Amino acid sequence: MNYAMALDYQNCINCKACEVACKEENGVQLGAEKQRIWVGMVEGTIFGKPFANIYPSQCNHCLDAPCVSVCPTKASHYVLGGIVKVNAKQCILCKGCLEACPYDARFIDDTKVAVDKCTFCDHRFAETGTTACQATCPTKVRTFGDLDEENSDLVVLLKTRRFFFQKESIGTLPKLFYLLPEDEAYAKQSVAHSTNIYTWKDIKPLYDQARNKRSKEWRR
Amino acid sequence: MEKITFAGVEINRISFSRLFFRKTMLLAYALLAIAVFGIYEIFDLRYFSLVTNAHDAGLNPTDPAMKAAMKQAIFGTVGEIDKTQPWTILIANYMYMIYTGSGVIFLVALAEMMKFNLVAKAAAGFMVAGIAMIFAGLFTIATDLNMLNMHWMLLTPNFNSAMWLMLPLYCIYIPFVLFEIYLILTNNRAWAKRLAMPILILSLGVDLVEYYIQAKLFSMNTARHLWTEFPALTFYFIISAFVSSLGVMGINSFLVHREKPEYESLMDLIRRSMLFFVFILGLYEIIGYMTVDKDWAFLILFGPFSYLYFVGYIFLTLALPFLFIVKPGKPIFTVLASICVLIGGFVGRYLFVYGGNANPMSNRFGTGYERYDYYSITKAFNYMTPHLGEILVVIGSIGVAIMIYKLFDSLFSVGDLREHH
Repeated sequence: MNYAMALDYQNCINCKACEVACKEENGVQLGAEKQRIWVGMVEGTIFGKPFANIYPSQCNHCLDAPCVSVCPTKASHYVLGGIVKVNAKQCILCKGCLEACPYDARFIDDTKVAVDKCTFCDHRFAETGTTACQATCPTKVRTFGDLDEENSDLVVLLKTRRFFFQKESIGTLPKLFYLLPEDEAYAKQSVAHSTNIYTWKDIKPLYDQARNKRSKEWRR
Repeated sequence: MEKITFAGVEINRISFSRLFFRKTMLLAYALLAIAVFGIYEIFDLRYFSLVTNAHDAGLNPTDPAMKAAMKQAIFGTVGEIDKTQPWTILIANYMYMIYTGSGVIFLVALAEMMKFNLVAKAAAGFMVAGIAMIFAGLFTIATDLNMLNMHWMLLTPNFNSAMWLMLPLYCIYIPFVLFEIYLILTNNRAWAKRLAMPILILSLGVDLVEYYIQAKLFSMNTARHLWTEFPALTFYFIISAFVSSLGVMGINSFLVHREKPEYESLMDLIRRSMLFFVFILGLYEIIGYMTVDKDWAFLILFGPFSYLYFVGYIFLTLALPFLFIVKPGKPIFTVLASICVLIGGFVGRYLFVYGGNANPMSNRFGTGYERYDYYSITKAFNYMTPHLGEILVVIGSIGVAIMIYKLFDSLFSVGDLREHH
């Protein structure tokens, strides 16, 4: 098992239902900065024509997560499926992971006095097969699934679409797959020239190799 | 004073009241009381802030405390740590104390090796001052961490983590320095001199590893611009530490040795060393800002931190001390320069921690600088004033250093100038 998520961000309407569903499902502390997932917006102009790109985002559950390697107490750890989690009881608030995370996806949950982050709703997907954010999204932006299962919705989707990663150059092997918009104009305004675009065939061997290497650390 | 000899060290036979209730110790206790109140404040904020989540809101919708927590969540700031500024004045103080303390030890070991006999005579006192500062730094960082969970450092250690690198280093470094002090106190100069080189290397090791740890943490995070792009930052850390270390040595000499005949020569030596390192630091600042990304440099030089940078750091660490010590004069000018560099050095560390975040804070895609252009919202960066508890702990940490130094001095007379035999 190697859980991941694809984001068809061209469909995002910025309703933020996913943010609310996440807070509700996981009992995340209330407060604007206290988010496990968020919807970011990039504004700009092309030849004077304004545009706004909407990027839903969250923890990328990197296969080579710097937040796990900097944690001095193993409070940040992998669980089965390569999900990065935090054991609140072991967190000493060194805040190293907050600084190390390239995606700024962690925060302090003051109800737990520990670092908190997205868990891909691992407490519920055995029962429901999906995450709260995916379940609530009205425009089907998110597709959660297992990269190792060839017939999963996720892999089927990734086989048919091209995609890219945020901050890929850092080399952490993130597992949020941003699907290249099918609309050419939206693709042009939302993807930088320097961004690498991949197909499933390109990326699978690399991710399989990394999974094989790191999966020994994945705790049950 | 009557002495007891134990393992070759002469220990002053001193009464309990003279050991623990001297004026200096009372000052240290007052500062420690401030620190204790600071720790209480931090714990109050950490564990008893009004916080809530959606589940509470559903279960107790009319609870007044819940309503107050919701109001706080919407209109105020919640809890102790802000994600945009997770490392604050406690980290600044930790870095300041550790670097300055290890800097003192480095300079004394260097002076021993270079046969500066005057410094060698006062080495015990200086080294104790250095080690006392290191303990003050460790005290500060301990309050920053969640002490209630610290046992997990030992129960489930991640030896590959950067933070774990420091523990073995301190476990070697501190005993080494204490052994060096022991050798000095027992007049074992030959061995003290031999040990000077390892201590020199270990002091540098502390500075380099400390930098590596912080740089390693920050290197992934593009929002922490100062940490990732400022050139030769390690040297900045070390050189600026030497400047404030000489400040500590200057003040220590004034307080401990001012009645002794060697005082003037000692202060002159400190003056010349300080002048050298102030000059090097000044050069570094000029070259550093010329080579770093100009947008970021402009932000620090002319942005919201400019007042603190020019008045608090450049004026106090470089300009004013330079004017005080550029010409040989009375030792009081070196003392004044020492006070300036001590304050300026702290401001430098403070700026470093806060200024490192001086461009838009959030690194979240679409919510930070990537929302606009790279630097276009430089005026709107977040600056979190340190909590009262944090400020009190920083003030109180001086008490830790004073207490350790005074205990050593009362028992072993480390403030005496020791002749070579």
